[in-house]
Amino acid sequence: MLFAALIWGFALLGNQVLANEASPQVQVAEPYIELHSGPAEGYPVFHVAAKGEWLSVIKRRTSWFKVETTKGQQGWVKQQDLTLTLTSSGEPVIITEGSFAAHAQRNFELGAMAGVLESVPAISLTAAWVATENITTEVSFTQALGDFSESQLLMANLVFHPFPEWRWSPFVSLGGGRITTKPRANLVDSGAEQRSSDMLAAGLGLRYYLARNVVLKLEYQSLLAITDRDEQEELEQWKLGFAVFF
Amino acid sequence: VETWIRSVFLGLALISTCSLAQELKTEGRGDETQASPQSVIKPDLRRREINEAEIDSENFEVGLYVGIISIEDFSSSTVLGARAAYHINEDFFVEAIYGRARAGETSFEILSGGSPFLTDDERDFRYYNLSAGYNLNGEVFLSQDLVFNSATYFTLGAGSTEFGGDEHFTLSIGAGYRLLLTDYMAVHFDVRDQIFNSEIIGQEKSTHNIEYAVGATFFF
Repeated sequence: MLFAALIWGFALLGNQVLANEASPQVQVAEPYIELHSGPAEGYPVFHVAAKGEWLSVIKRRTSWFKVETTKGQQGWVKQQDLTLTLTSSGEPVIITEGSFAAHAQRNFELGAMAGVLESVPAISLTAAWVATENITTEVSFTQALGDFSESQLLMANLVFHPFPEWRWSPFVSLGGGRITTKPRANLVDSGAEQRSSDMLAAGLGLRYYLARNVVLKLEYQSLLAITDRDEQEELEQWKLGFAVFF
Repeated sequence: VETWIRSVFLGLALISTCSLAQELKTEGRGDETQASPQSVIKPDLRRREINEAEIDSENFEVGLYVGIISIEDFSSSTVLGARAAYHINEDFFVEAIYGRARAGETSFEILSGGSPFLTDDERDFRYYNLSAGYNLNGEVFLSQDLVFNSATYFTLGAGSTEFGGDEHFTLSIGAGYRLLLTDYMAVHFDVRDQIFNSEIIGQEKSTHNIEYAVGATFFF
């Protein structure tokens, strides 16, 4: 409830701030520009703004921009159409967000991947900070849910991208972390117990810039668990997923 | 600096045009055909330059939901959850969900009147999942002037369910309806099936845990 109230408060505050400052304006340069009733191609065009008209840009959702004409008509314009308008100083409007060019400028990445860790289904979440165009540092949490046990892996990785300018870009990773394995409840009675050990990991992967803020990732990792026992345990992990960058 | 100089020149130009128009007006006062002044356009000099970073981008959606979940073999219970979504484009979004409920009793427990299957702690039903969703965008016409944007969407994802003392790998399939009351606030109606393998009541089987929920979300 408190959460909802907070969100509500933020929403109101956000709107207040927005209302107080003047929106940036662009001028229609093509013979006309189409205003849709919603932020998607399927929504009907219900109004057109003629050449020379000024539009205030209010907000953006994905690649659609909400604009208001000088007569107060509000509607949604797609990104390609907005880039055909002119700024107040007469320059063409340039929108780079959600383009491959913006991908090179990214600072953070949030990702989710699904795959198998030693033939057990596993889900991973990653948060990454892009240090340079070639080097990324990331933290990942993986949960593997098998028939006999549940494992949780917390890893810190250093990822190296030799060809950041390619749409299909390979990468290698090195990392370390910790794994905790808990046996299933029905196995606890038979003497199995929870254990954890340190891990080392080396990985190889491929990323593909899909569209807007999204990249697809495929990764293979070879993991080495450093146990107290005589032999080390080697694990393999395959994962496929996506990441959103900012 | 350039824009500043430009504004000064524009201002000067405006003042001179105005005074010129004033003169023309006074000169033509006797003539009835010239009655309406021609220079009524007032250029707005405070036009703000468009800066991509300053445009308020609303691609994230967060909110809460409440509903009823039918936990296979363990009656139906109230479920409470939180949802966060990121809209990739007009068609696709990704969604993370966390929900919790408290399982009831099996028919056997109720009829036999004793020997509970699960302890109190084990009856906590908690799940999270990550899904990809696809929108079918639409509009709702409540009256001629009252129109709301809406979307019917389908989700498919995976996650984990903690129930009966164990975590289970869970597949989540859902369909929902989002009604946008304003640009940034939406009401959701959802149906989701959380599917996982369980051997809580003996034999291992895949269980379907279907939930109905209503929720509210905000875009930011």
